Amino acid sequence: MPLVTRNIEPRHLCRQTLPSVRSELECMTNITLANVIRQLGSLSKYAEDIFGELFTQANTFASRVSSLAERVDRLQVKVTQLDPKEEEVSLQGINTRKAFRSSTVQDQKLFDRNSLPIPVLETYNTCDTPPPLNNLTPYRDDGKEALKFYTDPSYFFDLWKEKMLQDTKDIMKEKRKHRKEKKDNPNRGNVNPRKIKTRKEEWEKMKMGQEFVESKEKPSRYPPTLVYQNGSIGSVENVDAGNYPPPPQSDSISPPSPSFSEDNLPPPPAEFSYPADGNQRGAGVAGLKRSSVVSPSHPPPAPPLGSAPGPKPGFAPPPAPPPPPPMINTPPPPPPGGFGSPATPPPPSPPSFPPHPDFAAPPPPPPPPAVDYSTLPPPPLSQPTGGAPPPPPPPPPPGPPPPPFSGADGQLAAPPPPLSDTTKPKSSLPPVSDARSDLLSAIRQGFQLRRVEEQREQEKRDVVGNDVATILSRRIAVEYSDSEDDSSEFDEDEWSD
Amino acid sequence: MAGQEDPVQQEIHQDWANREYIEVITSSIKKTANFLNSFDMSCRSRLATINEKLTALERRIEYIQTRVTKGETLT
Repeated sequence: MPLVTRNIEPRHLCRQTLPSVRSELECMTNITLANVIRQLGSLSKYAEDIFGELFTQANTFASRVSSLAERVDRLQVKVTQLDPKEEEVSLQGINTRKAFRSSTVQDQKLFDRNSLPIPVLETYNTCDTPPPLNNLTPYRDDGKEALKFYTDPSYFFDLWKEKMLQDTKDIMKEKRKHRKEKKDNPNRGNVNPRKIKTRKEEWEKMKMGQEFVESKEKPSRYPPTLVYQNGSIGSVENVDAGNYPPPPQSDSISPPSPSFSEDNLPPPPAEFSYPADGNQRGAGVAGLKRSSVVSPSHPPPAPPLGSAPGPKPGFAPPPAPPPPPPMINTPPPPPPGGFGSPATPPPPSPPSFPPHPDFAAPPPPPPPPAVDYSTLPPPPLSQPTGGAPPPPPPPPPPGPPPPPFSGADGQLAAPPPPLSDTTKPKSSLPPVSDARSDLLSAIRQGFQLRRVEEQREQEKRDVVGNDVATILSRRIAVEYSDSEDDSSEFDEDEWSD
Repeated sequence: MAGQEDPVQQEIHQDWANREYIEVITSSIKKTANFLNSFDMSCRSRLATINEKLTALERRIEYIQTRVTKGETLT
């Protein structure tokens, strides 16, 4: 439905409830006259707007005309000074001179927000703005604007741009393949000569009438159109819609990480009893017992430590059994305490570990796989004395909690926190000597590589021109240069024979 | 009877006169609005033709300038 550009307000002169007056007819007349005056006011406003637009346009044309007149005058003077005898006419000069190319300026962004007429813009501004979803943008992991998921004005342009760039890449790949094939078979000769194009086919098609011509153009030609039997024109672009790759989704990276974290959860608690056994035989049996007890008790401890984010309470109980008994109570309290509830974690942690009551906090013996426990001993020491560990853990909450997790748990908790904070420096994690650590480090590097590649691609795209004209021209150039190169190579083969 | 209806009749007469007056005003408002719209359209079409002619002239002048200026041999 088209929008009215200029709407004269008020629309209805006398549709109002009358105040209770004695002479109603006079009252109506006065109200109507007042509305007429308002209408005249809005009419004059719109008239001023109309004349203003026409005036600006005429002004631009006037300036162009004046500059043109100057150029014509200068040219006139120059032409009279021309002398045909002086003119150098050399064959080399004709060939070496650059051919004349007129500067064709293509109008772009015609229907942009800037070119909207002011009255229509005012109509738009009377509407509600979209909700301020961009306030949630800093909390997103993939760096996209949150409002783009609600309403994205550049969606279709981005779609088209992706498709065009993909097509140019495909065409270039085909070109390379063709070139390789031709290079591989230089002596193949003319296996597929060009079809002799005659007009006969075209006349046959047009025999029944222009309307029934079904153009069998390639779907890659731009823009493709189909003339259906009933004369309506459709487009073939939907065919390529399926081939179009969806907008770059970095969401593909985030879903695997939670599943990865959950997959890692069940095996390690069972496996970790071995290193504990290897180190302390006395506690080995107890360690085995603890590992068997912890897995069923793993889900229940999650709610009491609900103040901490998801993976952390889930990982609090598995770190408990593997390290030697004195260490059990101390690692879980620092991470939950690091998340702002210093008083509450110590009381919930004892009930969550019913099989391990009354563990004092002696100086922590370092477990075998952990390496950077140097950061841990001070906080646990302060723990039993203070009971409120906010100062050491809270300042860098994601930093030290992954180390205690990794230290207490081997490499179990290491992957999920680094995967969730993809941009955190990897140097904060301890160097690993476990068998799984190689896989994990490889995965980490892989993720890092992917992210860097994505950034590089994005930067490349942003640097190059973002208009319809440049993208289209590039694509068409690639497409037509492809056919030209093929034909030129074909000619060279002929001469080489 | 005439005495009873006079003030009412007068009022109704006056009301009809007022309505005619208002009708004249509103119809002239509509005529003005129509005139403005048609003036706007015709002006735009004329300005567009001027624009076309101007661009054609500019291209011709550019061509003539490159033809006439000597010393523009490039490599």
